[in-house]
Amino acid sequence: MMLNTLKSGLAALALVVVAPSAMAADLTIGLRAGPDSIDPHWSTLGSQAESLRHVFDTLVDVDETLQLKPGLAVSWEAIDDTTWEFKMREGVKFHDGTDFTAEDAKFSIERIPEVTGPMPMTLYTKYVDSVEVVDDYTLRVKTKGMAPSLPNDFTRLFVVPSETGMEARNEEFNSGEKAIGTGPFTFVSWEPKGDLVLEKFDGYWGDAPVWDKVTRREIPDDAARVAALKSGQVDMINYVPATDYLSMKNDSSIDTFVSDSVYILNIAPSVKDEEPQPIKVNGKEVDGNPLQDVRVRKALDLAINRDVLVSIVLEGLGTPANQLMPEGFFGYSSELPAPAYDIEQAKALLTEAGYPDGFEIDFTCTNNRVPGDAVVCEALAQMWSRAGLKVNAQALNGTVYFPAAAREEYTMTMSAWGTLTGEAAYTYGALVHTKDPEKGFGNFNRSGYSNPDFDRVFGEGAQTLDPEARRKLYEEASFIAMEDRALIPTVILQSVSAAKAGKLNFVPRIDQETRAYAITPK
Amino acid sequence: MFGYLVGRLSQAVVVVFVMSIIVFVGVYAIGNPIDVMIDPGATAEIRENLIRQYGLDQPLWQQYFTFVGNVFQGDLGKSMVYNISVTSLVFSRLPATIELVLVSVTIAAVIGIPAGLYAGYRPNSIGAKLIMALSVLGFSVPTFWIGMLLIMAFAVELGWLPSGGRGPVADFLWFKTSLATAEGWSHVIMPAINLSLFKMGLLIRLTRAGMVEAMGAEYVRFARAQGLPDRQIVFSHILRNISIPVVTVFGLELGSTLAFAVVTETVFNWPGVGKLIIDSILQLDRPVMVSYLVMVVILFVFINLTVDLIYARLDPRVRLKGGS
Repeated sequence: MMLNTLKSGLAALALVVVAPSAMAADLTIGLRAGPDSIDPHWSTLGSQAESLRHVFDTLVDVDETLQLKPGLAVSWEAIDDTTWEFKMREGVKFHDGTDFTAEDAKFSIERIPEVTGPMPMTLYTKYVDSVEVVDDYTLRVKTKGMAPSLPNDFTRLFVVPSETGMEARNEEFNSGEKAIGTGPFTFVSWEPKGDLVLEKFDGYWGDAPVWDKVTRREIPDDAARVAALKSGQVDMINYVPATDYLSMKNDSSIDTFVSDSVYILNIAPSVKDEEPQPIKVNGKEVDGNPLQDVRVRKALDLAINRDVLVSIVLEGLGTPANQLMPEGFFGYSSELPAPAYDIEQAKALLTEAGYPDGFEIDFTCTNNRVPGDAVVCEALAQMWSRAGLKVNAQALNGTVYFPAAAREEYTMTMSAWGTLTGEAAYTYGALVHTKDPEKGFGNFNRSGYSNPDFDRVFGEGAQTLDPEARRKLYEEASFIAMEDRALIPTVILQSVSAAKAGKLNFVPRIDQETRAYAITPK
Repeated sequence: MFGYLVGRLSQAVVVVFVMSIIVFVGVYAIGNPIDVMIDPGATAEIRENLIRQYGLDQPLWQQYFTFVGNVFQGDLGKSMVYNISVTSLVFSRLPATIELVLVSVTIAAVIGIPAGLYAGYRPNSIGAKLIMALSVLGFSVPTFWIGMLLIMAFAVELGWLPSGGRGPVADFLWFKTSLATAEGWSHVIMPAINLSLFKMGLLIRLTRAGMVEAMGAEYVRFARAQGLPDRQIVFSHILRNISIPVVTVFGLELGSTLAFAVVTETVFNWPGVGKLIIDSILQLDRPVMVSYLVMVVILFVFINLTVDLIYARLDPRVRLKGGS
């Protein structure tokens, strides 16, 4: 951490000399992360999908704010409670010249369980019972029970030709032999952690990309990525660190692009009968779990000054959050009040709950998993100490944090959660619903939270095909969960991309993807 | 000689075993790799299936013996992250590191040893004092800091050299290297200098210390009395006598740089093995961690063996006996 701060601080000091840029029709992007494989069915990793989207298309696509739009499927509808029908786009060609048909989509769905790895894509096909090809351009998917979110799941369903064969694995894709998609670019070369080189595909069905050659260069180190942009080695970079953002904002030779992300830092207080790490008053363990009292959770919430978190701790790169999703997402409740900061009321609630002198509590966060998590962690501990609590804050590396969090060893945690699909079912099903392995809900509910009212409303939503009726139910579920402080959201993180001034047009996306075909020269 | 080699190799086998057990127990103690990698949306059923698929539900000793059994069949396993064989993964990155390290140790030796000789030969001259002062900087200023300064100066301010990455590779004899092209050299030179500074400082100080000591030794005075020119005394008598500590340190440094050049590789975005191993540790990619460390142990044993053989060449009194 110290090392990173020093390095980015130094990088920020630098002035810029404009180096000669590459040829106009070539684009080189410096990215924090790249793919783990060229096989689009290997992993759910975000940077994997982001990279492979250039070579392969998905059945359903999403726009900048994660709302669904047609991809290889032009339309979809539920024809009965357990059947979805997708109409395929006609006239689409694979990079090897063969035609795309519903058979390829069927093959891709069936290939996933055969080849997927430890970040399993089966996540997106878990509702699929069977797939039927009606004709070349019609696909019917039978689902296990009602599956209103199937089109959302299919936004990550990349299509490979049915000629690929079930035997092909990562090696054949990495070498380029099987890296054949319908996307705007053809695959040229890649090696782990190295450059992904792409060339324009002339037969692309959509708008032809403006770049002849695109190089997606993986530069995980923040300072090295900034230096690569400033020295002109790359045309654009993503995830500019907050310290460099401040200097770049005032630098006329660099354009910055700021956008909200899907990631929100949420506090998860354990509400189990016995808290995993003891909560103490005057050094003595208290009876029962104070966090079970909603007044205590409300007090924790009221003691957080989110404006300070955003403006000072995160250098302005954030937005206060009052629920688990950003505004505009499917299920976002506009009924919920803006987050309030009231230290007196927080103290009053604690007194009312029987803790006039506060208590001592352990608080564990991720470190460097997302920008700013560790500093927000420390800031929160200080804010709570003003309300009279003694908070032992600890920010841990993900390698240590995640396995221990999965064993539910922490009393109160903070980590980032992204509503990657743009709709509530993804987040609420995993984080807020009562833990229920049978139904597949609550897998990431480590706090032991269980509210029958929430489960009922959410469950009803999950069984409602009509989108408007479902949206209403999810909004209600949002309201219940937040009134009850099942989790305490703090801030929506923002992220920054940067390019040399006056060179590129780029509209940042809320899912943080840097899509080369959405970048144009000025 | 033969007994000596056998002894050395059996030592290596023991070290490799112990180390693989430490890594296995270590990863086991941290937790389940699946919990680090798995997507947040995965159901409990998917998670259970994965744990079974990767054999992580078995007791530790059973996982370990499965691994050892596979190694004896020449299979080091597949990376959990990349799903390609660990050997091909490591060897896809190794040439970049070897290239960088060779250039950097060459720079360190070519500059460090003569500078040290000079500083020891004329210990009171201004030049010697300057060399000694710079050598202190070489191993006291952190590598990443110097790396960033180099980038700021030569890549960002002056624009002479690229800020990072490896240049285009071309065929040279039977392997691919970026040293075969001018552009490749422009990429390698800055990280190589950065990596060489610590070793250079060390070599300067070692050589100087040996030189100062030898200058007062009887054989040198005797050689002088015989009327031998200084050049001959320094290069054929002193250098040979002070070579043993220099070669030892050189060998150790070569090994540790090859295995752990990670800071320089990170700052300069050099696609070497150092970054690979750090990422594998962060993702608990156990097959890569174990196999890589096994390779590192073998590498160290090999380098130490070479160093010992050089000793015997330098000093006829050193005898290579079985098992020693």
